Amino acid sequence: MKKIFEPKSIALIGASDELGTVGLGLANNLLSGKDLRKIYFINPKRKEVLGIKCFDTILDIKEKIDLAIIAVPAKIVKSIVLNCCEKKVGAIIIVSSGFKEAGNAKAEEEIKEMVKKYKILLIGPNCLGIINPSLNLNASFAPLTPKKGSIAFLSQSGALLDSVIDRDKLGFSKVVSYGNEADMDLSDFIEYLKTDKETKVIAIYFEGVKDGHKFMRIAKEVSKIKPIVAIKSGRSDKGKAAAGTHTGTLAGDYNVYQTAMKQSGVILVDTLEELFDVSLALSLSPRCENGIGIVTNGGGLGVLTVDYCSEMGIEIPSLSKSTISFLEKNKAMEKVVSKNNPLDVLGDALSDRYTVAIESLLKQDDINGLIVISTPQLMTEHDKNAKIIAELRNKYPLKPIVCCFLGGQSVALAIEYLEKNGIPNYTDTKRAVKSIKGLIKK
Amino acid sequence: MEILSFEETKKILLKYKLPFCRTEIFNSKEKALVFAKQIGFPVVLKIHAQKIFHKSEIGGVKVNIKNEEEFGVAWDEIDKNIRGKNIEGVLVQEMVSGNEIAIGMKRDSQFGPVLMFGLGGIFIEIIKDVAFRIAPIGKEEAIRMIKETKGFEILNGARGKKKIDLINVAEMIVHLSNLSIKEENIQSIDFNPVMVTDKQALITDFRIII
Repeated sequence: MKKIFEPKSIALIGASDELGTVGLGLANNLLSGKDLRKIYFINPKRKEVLGIKCFDTILDIKEKIDLAIIAVPAKIVKSIVLNCCEKKVGAIIIVSSGFKEAGNAKAEEEIKEMVKKYKILLIGPNCLGIINPSLNLNASFAPLTPKKGSIAFLSQSGALLDSVIDRDKLGFSKVVSYGNEADMDLSDFIEYLKTDKETKVIAIYFEGVKDGHKFMRIAKEVSKIKPIVAIKSGRSDKGKAAAGTHTGTLAGDYNVYQTAMKQSGVILVDTLEELFDVSLALSLSPRCENGIGIVTNGGGLGVLTVDYCSEMGIEIPSLSKSTISFLEKNKAMEKVVSKNNPLDVLGDALSDRYTVAIESLLKQDDINGLIVISTPQLMTEHDKNAKIIAELRNKYPLKPIVCCFLGGQSVALAIEYLEKNGIPNYTDTKRAVKSIKGLIKK
Repeated sequence: MEILSFEETKKILLKYKLPFCRTEIFNSKEKALVFAKQIGFPVVLKIHAQKIFHKSEIGGVKVNIKNEEEFGVAWDEIDKNIRGKNIEGVLVQEMVSGNEIAIGMKRDSQFGPVLMFGLGGIFIEIIKDVAFRIAPIGKEEAIRMIKETKGFEILNGARGKKKIDLINVAEMIVHLSNLSIKEENIQSIDFNPVMVTDKQALITDFRIII
């Protein structure tokens, strides 16, 4: 796999300088990392592309090639793959489409047999490619390169991957569009990420798995070490043929997937937003036991948050005697009459009150994580609040804090500070609750 | 797709230690009556056929038959209802009471055998309150599976009812799990209902699809 994610030399077959082509997209992306590795272009119809000399075939290159990327029409892919095999490249990515997904399973099968014979790893066909931001490697035709981070994203869909990179400010450790899985499948990548030092969380978008037993075996093992969060499409029951039993009728495809994911320790989510909300929280925060504290300067939002928690099976422990007496003794809390969880520090709370409230909850044994809500009241000190949250997070590193600074301009700087300090912030309490749920160990 | 014959079903149930209520299959009314008297009234009569999936809809099931006279009437009615249909025979079963639960299996093309547990009867058909697991599973996982359903409270002594014996049910699920892993030609199974009490769990209706 090193040949794929840390190649020292790459050959692009089908490099092009024609606007709007995959060949140009790939060429540009590869050149952005040209100081770190050797890049070769292959295109018998061109002398050069983007100022780089083109070879007629990969066999004309004298040096060793770690990774070959194929972006040529489907009908000539097989002969190009054969060249790559003879060249003994380390791995191949076939970007080209027009295989199994287009009803051309035979050609895909032939290519699969070929790489198997030569013991060469293959990604694709019908994929976008891979990205390793930490090595400035973009071996894909995605229009952008994401920044470095600790979330690995594996996607069966290329287009979806594009939009995620484009939309989110998230950083990624590895990004893989794995396409038709002719050779390397989703499970292989999950297994690789298990020992990848840069990856803390594995996020997956998939439509189905190629080998259910292999997936379960690997996911079970990896999820014990790194959290796996997944979203699956194709959930509506297509009205399958009668099964002859109630069990058969009830065990629809998505039910079976839900069961398999749960048994493998995979966190299955409903929306793309949730996929990255939960992944972000998991990449920044430690996991914890059930039992969450809530601090808010708005009573209504506190109640709303409790509602979501109870819907999702999150426990909200009552404040202990010692927590209450700690609060009672503290001058900053004088005006706060009701000392409950959620702890409503009231609309006129300044940062001193937030400090006492947050710390008192973090001190309580059966409160294992915190949601801190800050709404923009006239006197609210957002920036100071953000600072004390970061300080208290460092003081209580085993208890995750998820923030919900709600508002626009007035909270923007505070949110930026939180993000810089590795504290997740969500612009809706439900998103915050779902994220902390992802942190709770089952 | 067809239903496994009664003789084969019986063999499988015995092999995998899946307890079922006393049941025999007959084509002769006289012999059937002898068996009914032997196990004692009330009894149940139901047809067993490889291709009939809705046996009560066609009038192939009679329950709570209390004596010899009722037995005669029930047998004749079933005989009339199934005229022209190909059946293996009529099952004579003892009547068992208890809480109705349902246990089943479906072989999934991706993940292999998927086990199901739920409350039986109307609960499974209408409320669909069921839990699933991919086989194989052990006893602890089976217990977690049972507790996952909302209906568990009903089985666990809600409103002063007697609690069922959870271990019996969990063991039955584990045995079904073993069966599903080993008997690869079986596509789907329904044990619905299984009658459970504080002492036992007995399968009273079985359907094994091959």
